[in-house]
Amino acid sequence: MDFSYSQEQDMLRTSVAKLLERSYDFDTRQALVASDAPWSSEVWTQFAELGLTMLPFGEEQGGLGGSIADCVAFAPLFGEHLVVEPYAASTLLAGGALAASGTSVALEWIEKLASGEATLAFAYEEGSGTATPEQTTMTAESVGDGVTLNGEKRLVIAGDAADAMVVVARRSDTGKLGFYLVEAGTNGITTRPYKTIDGRAAATVVFNQVSATAVLLEDADDALEAMLAKAIIVQSAECLGAMKALLTITGEYAMTRKQFGQPIGMFQVVAHRLADMKIAYTKALSTLTYTTALANSGSETARDIAVLKGQMGKLGREIGEAAIQTHGGVGMTDELSVSHFHKRILAFDASLGDHAYHLRRVGQLA
Amino acid sequence: MNVEFSPELEAFRAEVAEFFANAPTPAIREAGRKTTSVFAPFDQCMEWHQILAQKGWSAPHWPVEYGGTGWSVEQRFIFAEEYRKADLPPLLPQSLGMVGPLLIDIGTEEQKAKYLPPILEGLDFWAQGYSEPGSGSDLASLQCRAEPDGDDYIINGSKIWTTYAHHANRMFMLVRTDNSGKKQQGITFLLLDRVDYPGMEIRPIVGLDGVPEQCEVFFDNCRVPQSGRVGEENDGWSVAKHLLKHERGGAAASPTLVHYLDRAKEAASKTPSPFGGTLSDDPVFQSKFGELHADVASLGHMEKLAISGHEIANDPAFPSLNKTINSELLQRASTLMSKISGVGGLARQLEALRVGSNVEPQGSEFDLISMPLYLNSRAASIYAGSNEVQRDLISRSLAAGA
Repeated sequence: MDFSYSQEQDMLRTSVAKLLERSYDFDTRQALVASDAPWSSEVWTQFAELGLTMLPFGEEQGGLGGSIADCVAFAPLFGEHLVVEPYAASTLLAGGALAASGTSVALEWIEKLASGEATLAFAYEEGSGTATPEQTTMTAESVGDGVTLNGEKRLVIAGDAADAMVVVARRSDTGKLGFYLVEAGTNGITTRPYKTIDGRAAATVVFNQVSATAVLLEDADDALEAMLAKAIIVQSAECLGAMKALLTITGEYAMTRKQFGQPIGMFQVVAHRLADMKIAYTKALSTLTYTTALANSGSETARDIAVLKGQMGKLGREIGEAAIQTHGGVGMTDELSVSHFHKRILAFDASLGDHAYHLRRVGQLA
Repeated sequence: MNVEFSPELEAFRAEVAEFFANAPTPAIREAGRKTTSVFAPFDQCMEWHQILAQKGWSAPHWPVEYGGTGWSVEQRFIFAEEYRKADLPPLLPQSLGMVGPLLIDIGTEEQKAKYLPPILEGLDFWAQGYSEPGSGSDLASLQCRAEPDGDDYIINGSKIWTTYAHHANRMFMLVRTDNSGKKQQGITFLLLDRVDYPGMEIRPIVGLDGVPEQCEVFFDNCRVPQSGRVGEENDGWSVAKHLLKHERGGAAASPTLVHYLDRAKEAASKTPSPFGGTLSDDPVFQSKFGELHADVASLGHMEKLAISGHEIANDPAFPSLNKTINSELLQRASTLMSKISGVGGLARQLEALRVGSNVEPQGSEFDLISMPLYLNSRAASIYAGSNEVQRDLISRSLAAGA
């Protein structure tokens, strides 16, 4: 057993850290979120220059053949800096669907994705959330040579700004899930863009008799499960970064903020809440690291992923709520970073099935 | 990153599993099934210790030159996993996990030569004399006094919560040798060669589970040799802190917890839910069970990271984090177990619990242990430094920026 990162992974993390320290301090980030831009195209280009957008694709598809551990090595920094660029959505999820497809259309898009020239959205969540792919109701119907899509997708990250989107829909004849490519501006799409509570550009997208630009994969259930597992691991790493930031900020605050003539961290009730935050963080760090190592050897099970997603969401919320409480009034403000880290965690928890779903799954699968 | 075990390790696993399948006597197996505490039934536990010692496996974590196995961390983990799967009584921690490693670290050559072999072989059992009636969490306030007198100390005072002292043949303890400075100064760490010195009296305390597991130990002008001192006179606090590291670090707890959860799951699958179906099909049960299982999984991940040498174990708060997490999970697991038993756990069955009694339990074997385990595990957040003290230590590590 070895849970350490390689020298190359350490170097990659250092490069990403330097980039974010240079161009992604909290104030810059807040200005970006407040602007009309969905994300910073400059930062996205820098990600591409570092090879991040190329990293997870296989070498035979023009990528770097990076592993899941490579991604987890740097992803916590995205949480620590509250990055809003759609890395998981575009590179891992939409990119993962293209990689699983392997058609000539898919390969063309991989090239554009990997170079940083294009971003893709991944239209998956529906209703109040899609904890399991079985809940997918969006339909794909064969009409002539093509496929017609009908339904509504929620929380489509980059849904309004991306060059195209990969849509997960259910074949009305076979009942199987498939991946369908739809280019931006296709007839029948209605997009309602918004910013999420954690600063990302998203949209609700309605598909009314939309002709898919291309069929990427007809029988996609297994591929989807594998992609979601990967995305959950990397987004868990982002979530861990936010948790770490909250732990550090709150620890420092409790030792400097004085009431009744002493640092509030000296009061045992506050001290013990800090201890509980660290306990939660230690569990989260352990489970993320272990699950990453499992996935790196391809031996993770559905239960392992459910444990990870459930724990990160539950422990993350505990840390976020404790951080706000410890900060008191100032923790309630938009100005301070604390609430923004918490909102990143909330967004993580609600997507791809919340902790209540995943932990009950663990109880069923145990 | 890599979590795979090599084929050689799988062969090792088979070797361990085979030994566990054949070596224990029926009484040892019964003791394993009837263990409702960190401290397994004494006689069978020591018998099993001796069998393991003959195989050379009684102290895997000790350095090889003192009788350790020289196993890799993976081998030790596999050993612990197979141990729990076989449902065997855990060896007692006081000798193998506390005073033994302490003597290896800082004992004199004479102390090592005299005391380590019988600990390894399972011939000696050491009681731990730390807490006093007036000194629990605030251990440094201890007042049990030792006056130098020639080559001896004369001890007056008492110790309490001295687990299995009535089974012990030796004891390590903290005594007050000076009262003039700070309370942490003036403490001395002593090894008692015997527990039947004149003036020494051991009285068992019956616990809330009905079992005399803890003891009180009284000293009335009890004369013991000064040669049993570890470290310098009045420097016992640093010795004790060193030992606490071993006590709180402990062995992997997650395999035991997984084992309890497996038993809980099996019992739940046979227990009807008042809402219809079985308890294991009940959504509320599944949620609670899943939360607990996931937390136990996280502890297991943390333990695996720590034994692999991950930096997580270098955190000064790690022993406290580990102790707090695993003690609270033990309590949650045993709470769930006793809830599954329901009224089945209300029979007080001390005779049926006694190894070798041949008394048929009321209800299932699960019902026999669930309530005693619940009751006994209330102690987990109290012993080895209460969890309140652990949380103080954890929060201090945050203040220090760790």
